[in-house]
Amino acid sequence: MRRAKQRTLFFLALLLALAWAGWTQAQNETPYYQSTDFNIPILAGWQNQSAEGVAQFYNPSAQATIRTTMAAGRDAQSAAAADLAGWLGLTGLDAPVYSGKVNLADGTWHSLVYDIDAGQSVSVMARQAGDRFIVITFLESDPASRTRMLTIAQADDTLDTPEPEIDSALQQLTQLRLDDLAAVGTSALPGGDWLVFQGESALAAGSVFGNDSYIALQEGAPGDLRALADAWQGTLLGFFITPDNSPYLWLGIAVSLLILAALAGSFVWRARALQKDLAMIEQLQSADSN
Amino acid sequence: MTQRRIHASLAASPQPRLLRALTILATLGFASTLVLGLFVAGTDIQQGPVQRIFYIHMPAFFGAFTAFGATVLGGLIYLWRGSEAWDRIALAGVEVGLAFALINLLTGAIWARPIWNTWWTWDPRLTSAAVMCLTYAAYLMLRAGIENPQRRRRLMSVYGIFAFVSVLLTLFIIRIVPDTIHPVIVGASPQNAQGSFEATSGVVLALLPSLLLWLTLMPITLMWHRYRLALRQEAVDALKLKLLGG
Amino acid sequence: MKSPFAAAVRAIVSKDLRAEWRSRELVSAMALFALLSVLVFSFALELDKNAREEAISGVLWVSLIFASLLGFNRSLSLEHDQGSLDALLLTPVSRSAIFLGKLLGNFMFTLLVALVLLPLMTALYGVQLLDSWALLTTIVGVFGFSAIGTLLATLAVQTRSREALLPIALLPVCLPFLLTAVRATKGIVSGAPQSEWQVWLQLLAAITIIYLVLCLLLYRFVLEE
Repeated sequence: MRRAKQRTLFFLALLLALAWAGWTQAQNETPYYQSTDFNIPILAGWQNQSAEGVAQFYNPSAQATIRTTMAAGRDAQSAAAADLAGWLGLTGLDAPVYSGKVNLADGTWHSLVYDIDAGQSVSVMARQAGDRFIVITFLESDPASRTRMLTIAQADDTLDTPEPEIDSALQQLTQLRLDDLAAVGTSALPGGDWLVFQGESALAAGSVFGNDSYIALQEGAPGDLRALADAWQGTLLGFFITPDNSPYLWLGIAVSLLILAALAGSFVWRARALQKDLAMIEQLQSADSN
Repeated sequence: MTQRRIHASLAASPQPRLLRALTILATLGFASTLVLGLFVAGTDIQQGPVQRIFYIHMPAFFGAFTAFGATVLGGLIYLWRGSEAWDRIALAGVEVGLAFALINLLTGAIWARPIWNTWWTWDPRLTSAAVMCLTYAAYLMLRAGIENPQRRRRLMSVYGIFAFVSVLLTLFIIRIVPDTIHPVIVGASPQNAQGSFEATSGVVLALLPSLLLWLTLMPITLMWHRYRLALRQEAVDALKLKLLGG
Repeated sequence: MKSPFAAAVRAIVSKDLRAEWRSRELVSAMALFALLSVLVFSFALELDKNAREEAISGVLWVSLIFASLLGFNRSLSLEHDQGSLDALLLTPVSRSAIFLGKLLGNFMFTLLVALVLLPLMTALYGVQLLDSWALLTTIVGVFGFSAIGTLLATLAVQTRSREALLPIALLPVCLPFLLTAVRATKGIVSGAPQSEWQVWLQLLAAITIIYLVLCLLLYRFVLEE
């Protein structure tokens, strides 16, 4: 009786320990937007405008939107165009002002930048997933400034500075060079260290992660570029698709059931064999007594 | 006269009602924890569906723990009291525990394939879990190698006690040897643990019934069936001996 | 050394030592086997300078355990075949004394092999195994697995296919010794600070004590009655 009580107490303690472990772990979870298609971090301090299949966050002070969705298309550009048409009603999009490819851990991403009117640009990262494309879009709609986000593979991946890529992005998209800007310093943000350069009417920030440089360029009235760049990079790096490995799950369950069945089957089989032995013994005994 | 004795010793014992009830309860419990783990618990967004193997993988180890623990207890009491019943319990514990340990090991390998990208790695905990299986396989081999029943019970009680070291080693090795990639679910994982996931309240809710079932109902029911088989085996052996002896 | 317990232990140990001194069969076979396995390992693992420091303590302990298997088997199958243990059992000698007697004999033989192996491996591989801490680890570890080895050898000789079953029974059970002793020796050999490997030596000592107590308590059940 005493032992039974101790056992119950032990189990209760175990229960409590597990529940406590679960609760504490739940406290420091990163909030994620989850769907069957993809998972993406929810940006803290941004307005959550997400809907089914579309993760969308809006920053009112910077008038910036980061949006993630899946779109159909022949290639990354047509998928991005399809999403922009559906979202902003943009048709007849010009060719992108910047287009490049980067190989990240989960596949090849296309980095695209479109200038949609005199003051606004859209930056897109797109990657094929199945028969559709994942399209992650950055839009900053403050007419006073134009912000573009690019991801560029490092020309020399032994360097841990994004300066060469900032320079080439500036040359491709503006009339500036890196020499025209003055280094402001380094900002340590949650996602990494950002190198910031400032010119008369331009701001550039860059950060190296892996073998790629994440670049943010802003022209016109300067805003909080660093915060935007960090949110964008955090979104890109935090993005992932839940893998479909259910065949392994079913295999594991099948194997478990098989072993249990083999154990139970061996009990039955051995009991039957004993029964046969017994019948034989009885037969022998009756033969003896005759 | 002899006929009647045979029936009294063997065929006479239909399954006790309690055992029948336990069997049904364990089967239903197993089915419902499976449903809970497969359909009610949420999908782990990092690992995908395969993480649900956890609801069998870890409870199976603890089921083996219960069964092997019964072997130790049975061995100790047999050595102390000399009652054969406890030796049957010890043997039942080894067979049931070995099946559970195999489930633990194989589900672990199947889980590792998509998450660690390999079926097997010589990680301290995996190695010691494999050694645990081999230890109890050795128990069964040793047991089969001893002919005298009295001696067999005595020696195997002793070995069953020592074999439990491998169970404890598997349980505690990740606390002793930190260079393991196997995650710890309760408490902090080692730094290089890979494929750990967050034990959210959903996970805990689906895990607990499964854990309780594997800790108690499943091993007890299966061991009881094995116990009855041992009882039959002994009775038939005794009859055979008598027949041969004339 | 006047109590009947100590006298019995001493009698058994001296009997084993005298028999071994006369034939010199066991220790030389064990030492030769250990040496061969060290050589085989160094060929199989292609031990270069760097690999040596990593692998040498593992090679040492695995060779020692394999060699000791030979000794345990032989020591107890002799007793079993000659019926000398049966004779001892008829006398009012404590079972623990018989265990300690056999254990000390086995321990000394295995330690002797270790004492041959340590300087030899030091010379062959250029690692510093002749260290007082390494020696202490060796003594504790060899004592520990000799204890469980003596018990399991007594058990195994009573089975049908005796020699074959001892390694199967012993290797999994002496894994804790292997694990801790290898880590301690590795730490000592690589010249790591004491605080890093001390815990392994302490664990090894703790395991040895636990096994020794268990063996002392359970040995009487393993002996034939």
